Parts: sequence; C-alpha cells; structure tokens
Amino acid sequence: MEAKEILDSYKVPVAKTRLARTKDDALKLLEEMNYPLVAKIVSPNVIHKSDVGGVILNIKTKDELSAAYDKIISNVKSKVPNAEIIGIAIQEMAPQGTESIIGATKDVQFGPTIMFGLGGIFVEVMKDVSFRIAPFSKSTAIDMIKELNGKAILEGTRGEKPKDIEALSEAISRISQLVTDFPIIKELDANPTLVYENGIKVVDARIILDKK
Amino acid sequence: MENLDPMFKPKSIAIVGASRDPHSIGFSVVKNLIDSKYQGKIFPVNPKADEILDLKCYHSVLEIPEDVDLGIITVPASVTPSVIEECGKKGIKGVAVIASGFSEVGREDLEEKIVGIAKSYGMRILGPNIVGIMSNPMKMNASFGPYLPYPGKITMISQSGALLIALDSRTWVDRVGMSYLVSIGNMSDLDFADVIDYFKNDEETKCISLYVEGIKNGRKFIDVSKKILEKPIVALKSGVSTRGSLAAASHTGSLAGSGKVYSAAFKQAGVVQAYTLDDLFDRSLALSLQPPMRGENLLIITNGGGVGVLATDAAEKYGIPLKDPPEDLKQKLKEIMPDFGSAKNPVDITGMASAEWYGKALKIALQHPWVDGVTVLYCETSVSDPRELSMEIFEATNCNRTNKPVTVSYIGGEVTERAIEWLQKKGVPVYRAPDRAISAMASLREYGRYIEKGFDEFNRFEDVDNEKVRGNF
Repeated sequence: MEAKEILDSYKVPVAKTRLARTKDDALKLLEEMNYPLVAKIVSPNVIHKSDVGGVILNIKTKDELSAAYDKIISNVKSKVPNAEIIGIAIQEMAPQGTESIIGATKDVQFGPTIMFGLGGIFVEVMKDVSFRIAPFSKSTAIDMIKELNGKAILEGTRGEKPKDIEALSEAISRISQLVTDFPIIKELDANPTLVYENGIKVVDARIILDKK
Repeated sequence: MENLDPMFKPKSIAIVGASRDPHSIGFSVVKNLIDSKYQGKIFPVNPKADEILDLKCYHSVLEIPEDVDLGIITVPASVTPSVIEECGKKGIKGVAVIASGFSEVGREDLEEKIVGIAKSYGMRILGPNIVGIMSNPMKMNASFGPYLPYPGKITMISQSGALLIALDSRTWVDRVGMSYLVSIGNMSDLDFADVIDYFKNDEETKCISLYVEGIKNGRKFIDVSKKILEKPIVALKSGVSTRGSLAAASHTGSLAGSGKVYSAAFKQAGVVQAYTLDDLFDRSLALSLQPPMRGENLLIITNGGGVGVLATDAAEKYGIPLKDPPEDLKQKLKEIMPDFGSAKNPVDITGMASAEWYGKALKIALQHPWVDGVTVLYCETSVSDPRELSMEIFEATNCNRTNKPVTVSYIGGEVTERAIEWLQKKGVPVYRAPDRAISAMASLREYGRYIEKGFDEFNRFEDVDNEKVRGNF
C-alpha cells in the first residue's frame, strides 16, 4: 500500500487504495471511492492473498462490501489462524488493459536500473523485457518500449487501437527519477501496470528497502 | 579534462626497475623502446646498474638531470609505494605500473596506498597490473609486448593484459591497424572514461575500441561516452552471466542480468557493441576506415546469388533489413548487366561479371540519393581478377563525394588475399564472409543512429512530493 502511495507522490497513476481497519471504516470509505471495488486482506503473514480467499473482486454495492469484509476475515482466520490482520484494503478496480511491468533494481556497477516488460503473470516465461540505467528521459523510455518483441501490442495491432505510450513513458521516466533520488529503494515492482488507450494505472506495487 | 599528454605522448620516459637480465620485464621495456625507435629520452633506473643496453642507468629517478614525463614502473608491488613517492618528488606527471599483486589478488590496501601517494603529487596512474602502452604515432613500445601493432587508426583499450599481447600480434595477420594499444589493468586511478575522454581529441585515432571486463563507475562511463559523437566507440563486454540463479525477491531482480544491463548502458552511452573478438576487430576496422551510414537504405552488389542470400539474412539479423530500390535506380543498374541479372536488392550482376561491371554498378549506387551504404560481395571466378576489382572499388569510393560507407566481402584464394590486402590499405574494409561485411555495415549504421539521435538530456520532474515519499519509508 505504501508502495502505491510513493508512486502516487511521484504522480504515477495508481489504482486508488485505502486501508480500512474496521468494517465501519470500510463503509465510510465508500464516500470517496468509485465502484466497482476490490477488497484485499492486509496482513504481514499473508503473501499470496488469492490462495487464502483474501481477495474479493467486483464489489458494486454497500451490502456487497459489507459481506465481502466479513467473508475475507473469516476466510483468512480459518486458513491462516494466527495471522495478524491489520485490515482490509479497498481498491478501485481498474478496467481491463494491456498488462505490463515496470521494475527497478540496483546494479552493482551502474546503480539504479529500470526494467520494462510485457506479459503479465508470464513475464518471467516470456522474458520480453528491456532495461535502462536510471535516471533517463521520456524519449529514452520510449526507446525501451519500442525494443520489446511485443511492441506491436502497445502500438495497436489486430484491430486494436494504439495504447498510451506517452503516459507510459512518462511514468517510467518518473520512476527512474524516484529510484535515483531514493537509494534506500533496493527493488521495485509496479506489477501489473495496465496500459489503456488513454492513460495507465498501476494496480499493484511492491518496494523492497535496502537494509543498509 | 586534465592533460594526459605526459602519459600518452611523453617526451621522456624513466623505466624504474630496468634490468640487465634479458629475461626480465625491466629489460624488455627498455629494449622495446629502443627497438620501436622512440624519439624521446629513455632513462633506465636501477640502483644496482650503471648502464643498460648502452644507455646510462640512474640509481634513482631523483638523479635524472632532466624532466621526466612518464615513469614505467616494473618493480614488484611491495616496493612500488616508495618508488611512486620518488616519482612524485621528481615531478613525474604519469606512471604506468606494470606489476601485479594489487587489488586483483586482494591487496586493495597496497593499491589505495599508491593512489594516495600519486594524488598528493598530482600524478596520474595507469594500472597497476598492465602490459604497458603501445603507440605507433609515437613509435613507442612502452610495454613488454613483442612489437608495435600493425599501423592504423584504431585505439584499443584492453582490461586484459594477456589478451592485449595476443591482439597485438593478431593485428599483423588480420591487417587491422592500431594507433594506440593501451593496457588499462586494475583501473586504480585512470579508468575507461578517463582514457576515452583523452583519445577523443587525438588526431591519430579514428575509432576507440574497448575490451571490457568490468566498469567501476558506470554512471561516469555513460556520462562521458554519450557526449562523444565525433568518434565511434565500440566495446566487447566479457563475462556476461545471469544473476537468475540467485533467488531474487522481485520479478525485476530475477530478470536482470549483467549482460542485459551492460547492453542497456552501452545504448545509453552511444557505444556500439561487439559480441565476439572477431566482431570487435571487424567492427573496429570498419568504424576506423569508413564514414557512418546516415540512413537505413543498404544496397548489396553481388556476383553470386548464394552469398547474396547469406548477406540478406545477415542484414535482417543485424538490424538493417534490405529494401527494394526505387525504379529509376533499378533501370540504371539493369543497363550494366546481362538480361538474366537482377536489379532487386541484392543487385546480382551475375557470375559473368568483370571488375568493370562492378565499378559501374558501384558508381551508380553511390551517386543515387536513395542509397545510404553499399556492401560489395565477390566470389572469385575465372572470368574476373580480384586485383582489378579492388582497383575498381577503390576508384569508385575515391571519387565518391557523398560520404557513404562501403564494406566488402571477398571469397577466394591466394590472389584474392593479395587483392584484400591492397584494398584494405586503401581504406576499404574487406571481410572473408558476407555476414561479416554486413555486420560491419550494421555497426556503421548503429554509429549513424547515435549521431542522429544526439544525446539525451534528463529533465527532472519538479512536481513530485518528496516529503510524502520519505514519510512512507
């Protein structure tokens, strides 16, 4: 959640997410969020949320949110009995888009390095990725995007319109500035980053800090 | 940028650790300087000798009555610090430290010590753990390598000493000419960026070639190299291995590997990449002899369909895929070949082609505005003389005022070899296989693309909330 807040501070479009520590909180949040929503368990003891019934999608009403809240808590309590439950994250569900990943890592010789790739959950299988050393401009980010085997997917193919490469390249460039200015960031994954005809949205993000 | 002339263009050299023992490095360096006909002053230094190879030998650099620009240090690592101190006191501006036994064997402390001493005197260090410096323009073999490289306009900087000596010899077999061969060793002080920055201004250098094992200051390398567009830089990076076997906490960590990161860095630095030793030589040769390719249109002229297809494959593989030439160009070309030839790309002037036909085709191609570069492929036949072909190619390129690159592939026997030698001396790179000629042209295009793109300025985003970011940590 904090990872998304950090990206938001850098004006990288993220799916709006709020933490609800109680059911009342959750219901109050409805005032500032738009349907449909996703509810996800927030617990340091739960890594793979879907596996323990910790994620409920497509919430469209107040009642559905109330039920979802209860269901998730009971699922997690039964599957991971000793889990410390901090609360439920309520997130605006992003519409379907082209799945991509924006990542950052620290190279021993070159320092912060950005990766961009296509392939969603199969990115490690497809290995359709490109790299650049941070920080760099939007035009370098565009070079990165055009290097991919799957670049036609973003440029528009099989009757689909072109996706917003402008917005995507700006986000990549902003993230390159973020990891350069904050060396405490050891690794970063903005995955998936959905790309639309207009705009992009980071749906999930993780940041790993350097212990030193 | 500080002046490294005393290091690379010294007027006088002291060899500290010079020796009368013919099997020692201290002897070789002195002998090599004499044999290469170095025109500056040579001062052997050894406390235990008065004369080496008919030269007066001094007992310490401090005894040398004149100024010394460069000190070649051949004494063991353990006594190097005190030698460096003396060189500093003498006012020597640059030292090339040949000895090993420093950071490469875990003695970072010893290395830091000599760097510290040198710094206090404003002296620069090349090495340690190097072979030396070889220069054709200076007639200076300040190394323990056997002889100077085949003369030419490439300056090669190698991180491996043993490889450098081998490449030195190879330049004579391949006839790939070098201006300077620099062994950079441990890079305790001068690193790739520093040496590249110096040679960008050297008149005798038309191409800077690198053999890289590891760059210490990656950011500096990129920042320095990307601004150098007036000369091509080509690099072979060794030791590319994936870190994928290490459990990485993120997708990014598991997908990044040093090879990919270096390739990215080279792209951002405007450095052309070579992938094997042969490739490094091939590309360096082309980049030192021919102008960059300023557009995407490559025309191939061949007398054999087979090599034409191989070249077509290579063109696609190396990023300069062939396109169909415009009608008027095809018409002009059709006129100089028999009916059964082809004016598509590759332009097949048939196995009957004589040197003269090649010459005509090449002139037509170079004069046409659509053409950005030409690769000439030749298979030795009984109806053509490769030596005549070389003369035709040279004449066509010589009177070509449009500055378009030409690369050539010859396949043939002994007579062809002589023809290759002749044409290469005239400044046209010739390869013994069509794909190598295409790879060479591709490197000229890669350089051309870097020039067109210019270098990228990073414009900071000022509308970010750094406080909020910090708060989240």
